[in-house]
Amino acid sequence: MKKISDITIIDDDAITVFGLRKLISCTVDCDSIISYGNGLLAYDGIKKKLKQKERIPQIIFLDINMPIMDGWEFLEAFIKLPISDKIRINIVTSSIDPFDKQQWEFYKNKSHHLITFNLKPIDRNKIEEITKIL
Amino acid sequence: MIKVPQTSNTSYIISQLPTPTAFIDTDYNIVYTSNKWKGIFCLNNENYKSKSLFKVFPHLSPKWKMVLESCFEGNPQPMGIHKANNINKEELWFEWSNVPWYDSDENIIGAIIQLSDITDSINNELELRKKDLQLQQQAEITKIGRWEYDLKDNKLTWCTTTKAIHEVPPHFIPNIENALFYYKEGHSRNAISMALFEAQDNGKAWNNLKLQIITANGNEKWVMASGKPVYNKGELVGLVGTFQDIHDQVEADIKSLDNEKLLRTLIDNLPVNVYIKDTESRKILVNKAECEFLGVDNPEDILGKSDFELYPEESAIKSREEDLRVMSTLKPIIGKETNKIKLDGKETSFLSSKIPLLNNKGIAYGLVGISLDISKLKEKESELRNIINIASIQNKKLLNFAHIVSHNLRSHSANFSMLLNFLESENDEEEKVRIIGMLSEASNNLLDTLDNLNDVISINTHTNIEKQKINLYDKVINVNQNLISYLINNKATIKNNIPSNFNVKAVPGYLDSILTNFITNSVRYRDLNRTPVITLSAYKKNNYSILTISDNGLGIDLKKHGKKLFGMYKTFHDHKDAKGIGLYITKNQIDAMNGKVEVTSEVGKGTEFKIFFNEKD
Repeated sequence: MKKISDITIIDDDAITVFGLRKLISCTVDCDSIISYGNGLLAYDGIKKKLKQKERIPQIIFLDINMPIMDGWEFLEAFIKLPISDKIRINIVTSSIDPFDKQQWEFYKNKSHHLITFNLKPIDRNKIEEITKIL
Repeated sequence: MIKVPQTSNTSYIISQLPTPTAFIDTDYNIVYTSNKWKGIFCLNNENYKSKSLFKVFPHLSPKWKMVLESCFEGNPQPMGIHKANNINKEELWFEWSNVPWYDSDENIIGAIIQLSDITDSINNELELRKKDLQLQQQAEITKIGRWEYDLKDNKLTWCTTTKAIHEVPPHFIPNIENALFYYKEGHSRNAISMALFEAQDNGKAWNNLKLQIITANGNEKWVMASGKPVYNKGELVGLVGTFQDIHDQVEADIKSLDNEKLLRTLIDNLPVNVYIKDTESRKILVNKAECEFLGVDNPEDILGKSDFELYPEESAIKSREEDLRVMSTLKPIIGKETNKIKLDGKETSFLSSKIPLLNNKGIAYGLVGISLDISKLKEKESELRNIINIASIQNKKLLNFAHIVSHNLRSHSANFSMLLNFLESENDEEEKVRIIGMLSEASNNLLDTLDNLNDVISINTHTNIEKQKINLYDKVINVNQNLISYLINNKATIKNNIPSNFNVKAVPGYLDSILTNFITNSVRYRDLNRTPVITLSAYKKNNYSILTISDNGLGIDLKKHGKKLFGMYKTFHDHKDAKGIGLYITKNQIDAMNGKVEVTSEVGKGTEFKIFFNEKD
């Protein structure tokens, strides 16, 4: 198992964040897990890290329905950031709205990052699968 | 031996004969002539004696010679009537008589030729024959026959045309009784009998009676009968009259009358407006539907009028232009959708056609217009479109709602299953307590969500909730009092600028919820650098009562969030109280009352909501 330096969770639901943290820490060898309550906080945080030349997360768990800045708005802004590394972005949602699937296809093709679409609930096996990086 | 007649005083006597007379010898030489003869045939009293008869009448017919020859043999024969030219080259008609000329010894020594001038009577006869012929031809052409009735002899005479009209043979002899019998029983026979009676008793003529006869062959015919009494020295002696076959005309008249009636019935009873206009766009024919449309009982009220007298000027100008185009290009307008506004302002939608009417030279002398009133159809169409719109909006809303419900329930159930999984495999007691705490939090969240969803469903399923007239000013004061501690805590001021008598039609519970929601929203998203002021005012426009609620709060970036403003679980401010359900419910309540809501906002300045209450339905 490859060691992962940083994982970021972007979700407004405290329980989901708690669960993801717990699952990740049990299955993945990782230095730090950071979480943000909405897209804007995460975006600002990552931008700040870039500016200060700090390490940016290798894997992002991203919720869609969030206040202030939702998952799609975050993606739109994130893919414009000057990041040459291929970041793995795992969308985690309970939405079955076809619109969200279309949005995913759209951003998947638009960006060099690896973007996956995952329906809740997420279990240990799923976490293992979506935390693999090349 | 040829006997030479004694002349001497005989010639003197002969010259005095009262008729044109000539004596010729057996060699056809003229011996004596009467002065009358000379006056007719002798130029300048030239001596006629010994002149050959054939020289005087070079065109003498060979028959005459034969006749004279038999005279010489003692057998006089009539010569008949021949014409001869007199000295003035005039053509005269004579009756020629030839008798043998005897001397005193009873020997035939020649012939005596005697003429009687019958030119006048011949001319008269010719004239008469010509007139007769003309009359007959005229009768044949016009089919006007004649009849005469001689009262004294009780004799009725029909001319050939009259007979032909009755379809009787030429030798048929009519009498008054059978003549009357040919008239059709009923009106025709009564009418002619009356006319005859009136003529005989009162001396009245009858003119142009249109009657029906039944001919000898049993055919029914229309005839025109005229007649008048004839008097001689004040005494009635008979009747004369004419008799005309007018069957074809009458039949044609009846047929064209029938056709006209048929056409008129058809036009009048068509469920479309039909009119005919002349080149000046004046109506020259209108049907019942057009009269009804223009609100008149009598077509005379419209006939001769142009669109300028029937419609407002603007549409009259348009219509006139259209008329001119149709009549000049000869291209009809078919099934064009038009709106007609009458002088009373009533608008009607028509599917109208204008077709040019051409004379035999191919030039338009007017146009026929046909308009089908499709107002009801259009109304239905727009109603239908409205329903489709509503249905599609509802459908979208429902689908959206279904996604929201699915999303929310799934996210909660995902949390439950995840937490329960943890609990199962967790050995650390402290961690177990923590997980259980989270489970109860998740359960509370689920209950909240269900409550919210319930609220939304109840609004959308109770669309028939009765709206009431509510005084908006009082209602605002009422809501204000309910929120008073919340407002005081946040130092918020409410300015109620609504007129005290301003009423709206609304569901009371919804109005409460709407006011509470907007006011608390304004307070919640206040700008911390300012004292929150919320201003409410109201006015009426069209079918709406409009309530405006403006604040001096944070404002929303509508470009970014406008579409999601009234969505469920959408919040735009990082605020601990923001749940993203308030505006969603508010919007649903406004929609349920057939109202609408508009928003304007500027970040850092404030937000203004306009709530439209539908006063009509």
